[in-house]
Amino acid sequence: MSTAARFDIRIPIGVLFLALGVILAIYGVMTRSDITLYGRSQNIVINLWWGLVMVVFGGAMLYFGSRAHRRPLHSPAGDETERREHQLGLERE
Amino acid sequence: MTHLTPIDYLLMLVYFAVVLTVGWMLRRSTKTSTDFFLSGRSIPSWVAGLAFISANLGAQEVIGMGASGAKYGIATSHFYWIGAIPAMVFVGLFMMPFYYGSRARSVPEYLKLRYDEKTRSLNAISFAVMTIMSSGISMYAMGKLFNLLLGWSFDASMLVAAVIVLAYIFLGGLTSAIYNEVIQFFLIVFGFAPLVFLGLRAAGGWSGLQVKLAEVSVQRGFQPGALTHAWRYMGDASQNPIGVEWFGLAMGLGFVLSFGYWCTDFLVVQRAMASESMAAARRTPLIAALPKVLFPFLVILPGMIALAVDWHAPGVGSHAVSAVGQGIVPPKIDGLTGGPLLDQAGHVVLDYDLSVPMMLIRFFPAGMLGLGLTALLASFMSGMAGNVTAFNTVWTYDIYQSHIKKGASDEHYLWMGRAATVFGIALSIAAAYVAASFNNIMDLLQLVFAFVNAPLFATFALGMFWKRTTGHGAFIGLLSGTIAAAIHHGISLAAGAVPGVKGGYFGAHIIYRSELGQTFWTAIAAWVTCFVVTIIVSLVTRPRPEQELVGLVYSLTPKPIEPVQHWYEKPAVLAVIVLTVTLALNFIFF
Repeated sequence: MSTAARFDIRIPIGVLFLALGVILAIYGVMTRSDITLYGRSQNIVINLWWGLVMVVFGGAMLYFGSRAHRRPLHSPAGDETERREHQLGLERE
Repeated sequence: MTHLTPIDYLLMLVYFAVVLTVGWMLRRSTKTSTDFFLSGRSIPSWVAGLAFISANLGAQEVIGMGASGAKYGIATSHFYWIGAIPAMVFVGLFMMPFYYGSRARSVPEYLKLRYDEKTRSLNAISFAVMTIMSSGISMYAMGKLFNLLLGWSFDASMLVAAVIVLAYIFLGGLTSAIYNEVIQFFLIVFGFAPLVFLGLRAAGGWSGLQVKLAEVSVQRGFQPGALTHAWRYMGDASQNPIGVEWFGLAMGLGFVLSFGYWCTDFLVVQRAMASESMAAARRTPLIAALPKVLFPFLVILPGMIALAVDWHAPGVGSHAVSAVGQGIVPPKIDGLTGGPLLDQAGHVVLDYDLSVPMMLIRFFPAGMLGLGLTALLASFMSGMAGNVTAFNTVWTYDIYQSHIKKGASDEHYLWMGRAATVFGIALSIAAAYVAASFNNIMDLLQLVFAFVNAPLFATFALGMFWKRTTGHGAFIGLLSGTIAAAIHHGISLAAGAVPGVKGGYFGAHIIYRSELGQTFWTAIAAWVTCFVVTIIVSLVTRPRPEQELVGLVYSLTPKPIEPVQHWYEKPAVLAVIVLTVTLALNFIFF
């Protein structure tokens, strides 16, 4: 049984959204005066604004993910469940 | 056809890179078969909850619900508000204690513990074949869509998606699938939320949408509000676009089909079984239900908006080809003439499946378009990964371990799980090509599976809540339910359909307003038959001794005391919140 810790899911989410958000926002700044490009989004520079929203979300995920303790492969709650079910005789393996 | 710019491809590449990295990093924590198939039972409930809905968030949901939105209007939300949500609450509150508490490693294995080997095998084999088929159908849909929209090669787009899914499941097993499903969940939310925002803004908000859809509704021969009210026209099947009355809807869709799917389908239940504790497992479907309540706004609204907007905007160009369609929904193309397909009455048949893709092209500039298409790709991949992880578990535990090779080492089953991932994906690709060349075979297979699935909830509910139910009762009940479904389908037909794969092969004695109406009533027939036959056969066969059923049946299982730290972690509290919000939404869109 492995004792290695598994990384928090919020970290890859944070990395992905930060990267996507930064790319979109930079592209939005570069193209913000392109009327033909943003005609379809009703002249909202949606790349810039939505890119920024994604940066905020990605940053928050990274912050909370890195603050959390590394999650062990077998959590105390999971082990406690096993123990209690064993006492009740519910185990079948 | 739309041409993507380098920025769109860059966004897709970033996503693929993250997905593969997650699989790579998880490979080291995947040492035992429990790690591979059940994530070592260590997934926190919010992660399991998001994976629970994401595994179901495949092509069928994103493309199909948008298509239904354009076809049936806001009434499509019944699939959520009386369909999925009550069933998810039920599985969390009442059924999860037996799935999780029995230590079964799969849903078919629960049937083995509760009933017998033959009931388990019937369920395991039909489930395994079905997951491969649906993963194949979804790959086929993806290849076809990206070929049509972007001119990508059908073979290449399918193979690339398949190889990426294969890589991350092979490395990290269920954990990898779950982690990626959570990522895909957020990607779909972030890809579609701005689409709804821009679309609603262009249509003049909800009130503007109501006005525009009133015209469409009248044009289709309904009352003006038929597309924007969920319940008002449900009294009579001829008054609403779904073509079914409230009883068939509530019983067929709400009770039989939704409970059958959300409470017994291993594809979704597997996510909850991977939770770290019983309390977390019970919370999983309830946490999943919270965002699920709001999903109609994300996946149904775009389809409705597609009817109410047009291609006129600066820089949109010459997409106005679909002058004969409705809104921006193009017509289906007649394969013989190359022109728009017409129905018997001479009306143009719309290609509803293109509603959502057309919305992306209409409203998203380069950049956002890449994000939206990445979200679409993610939904295809997450649907496929869900099928493949459920398949490799059922194959390894319920078919291979119980019939082919018993008592091998854990390493052997871990190896088998990885091998099953490879041939599961290979078989899906084969199924996709079958779907591409013989459309009717797939229709036929899906029909058979619908017959097999419809009675399932009766078998599980009786097994969990009536200790007298026997294995023979369950097995014969399931078979009778399936046969009843086939018979009902054979004697009924939807108005305008041709006898054959659509039913009516024993003569069209019952005519429904729509195919959905026929489907719902077929399910009701199957469920009732299975329920009654299981009870009758159980009463005349010998029950199992009660001590063998502890932990498997409600009345014989001690109530586990679940210590929770906060009030909001209590399953009952979450259930009340979810149901209140759902009820309120039903009234708002009544």
